[in-house]
Amino acid sequence: MRLQWPGPPVSFLTHFWRAMEPFLVKGTHPVMEKILNICQRVAVTDSTVLVAGESGTGKELIARFIHAHSRRSSNPFIAVNCGAIPPDLLESEMFGHERGAFTGAVGSRMGLFQLANGGTIFLDEIGEMTAALQVKLLRVLQEREIRPVGADRTIKVDVRVIAASNRDLATEVEKGRFREDLFYRLQVIPITVPPLRERRSDIPILVQHFLDKHNQQRPGQLVRIAEDAMVHLWEYDWPGNVRELENLIERMVILSEDGTIRVDSLPPNIRSFISDKKIPRPTLTDEGIDLNQAVEEFEYRLIDEALRRTKGNKQAAARLLGLKRTTLVAKLRRKGTGSAQGYVI
Amino acid sequence: MNSAAGNNAAQAKGRILVVDDDPNAVEILSRMLGREGYTCVSASSGASGLDALKSELVDVILLDVMMPEMDGLEVCERLRADEKLRRIPVILLTAKDDMETRSRGMALGVSEYLTKPINRRELFTRIDAQLHARAIDRQLSKTAEAVADPSKKSS
Repeated sequence: MRLQWPGPPVSFLTHFWRAMEPFLVKGTHPVMEKILNICQRVAVTDSTVLVAGESGTGKELIARFIHAHSRRSSNPFIAVNCGAIPPDLLESEMFGHERGAFTGAVGSRMGLFQLANGGTIFLDEIGEMTAALQVKLLRVLQEREIRPVGADRTIKVDVRVIAASNRDLATEVEKGRFREDLFYRLQVIPITVPPLRERRSDIPILVQHFLDKHNQQRPGQLVRIAEDAMVHLWEYDWPGNVRELENLIERMVILSEDGTIRVDSLPPNIRSFISDKKIPRPTLTDEGIDLNQAVEEFEYRLIDEALRRTKGNKQAAARLLGLKRTTLVAKLRRKGTGSAQGYVI
Repeated sequence: MNSAAGNNAAQAKGRILVVDDDPNAVEILSRMLGREGYTCVSASSGASGLDALKSELVDVILLDVMMPEMDGLEVCERLRADEKLRRIPVILLTAKDDMETRSRGMALGVSEYLTKPINRRELFTRIDAQLHARAIDRQLSKTAEAVADPSKKSS
């Protein structure tokens, strides 16, 4: 009896294509055009690539895109999250181990580098790697060979390395937490993906893309988005970037009752979004701070933002802040309006 | 046009074009941006703003929406239609917090939107976000060059 094959590998690639689309193909922001262009050109080479960007900006998709467009595409693509594997285990995960190399190593085991032979290995959160392992990785990049834990032999591997970090590795190097030589070895082709809030013009395009995608996955009613709800999404800062946006759209499509995403159906944190920047994040300097003044400023900013969101409706603003209307009015009277420091024109 | 403000700043953070018909607003913004280390260029109307862009290279445009003759949204439309200018990030400034303006701004590919009264901290953060994206863009251009030219590639 033949086992049911879920589908030809082509559909796998198509899936990645589709997944890459919103990040690279459909993005209109000039930065994203450039990234796509670089990825296409770099794919045909074997250069090491370092992808930087906040979490959720699509670093792994970029790696998969490069792999899918390279001559290695029919060989494995292996993703390793260096931050998710305990440091003690990471070395043997990456390079394998011999029988008896350490307690519990009952048999020898192949490492991910070996499994990725002929293909691409994606080392995510490379900044989390211990100093000892950084040295070993540098050796691998230079010599193109690995040494399994406890082995006295080395094994040649043909693997393209794509590394990624959500920390600024240049800063990590300055602080002495990341080896400079390894950094330069990895940074042959540096690609930085800007966070979504720095390329807001892509938000409406991404929203529409994910709506189409998730509508397609659930046949039945087509979910649309109301214009003002779209504006709210456009204004939100998306700390979790594209991943957060897609998760939200998927949830909205599933939960939608009448086929339209409205402002009311958005989660409260987006509906009454208060930008981080509007709320001062007080820092306690050596000179100390005036706590009362800091608290007052914090309070004022929140009140101001609530009033802005509710177009000056004090009742609604008070509700947003969990205050009684009279309390809000009293606070406003005490502070005077518009005279708070920080506001310019 | 005046580009005096900010010239004494030791290190320019970026060149900002301020377009506002209110001379007070231009004055305050220019001085504030200058003090913070940005180089500031200003224009008092949409038309003169577009004119200034013919000779000035700027990183970010702070654009008031409510202006006589050519309003901010129309300036945006013209910027978007111009191959050379369409990539400059625009931050819309407005007292008008209505959905229609925001929605039109969004459709025109505006980068940010700030409602007057403008908060200093927020203004600087929004400008810096756009400058950061520009810096990434420049770095990517270098990478693109390196990839195109195999002789510059080391591995």
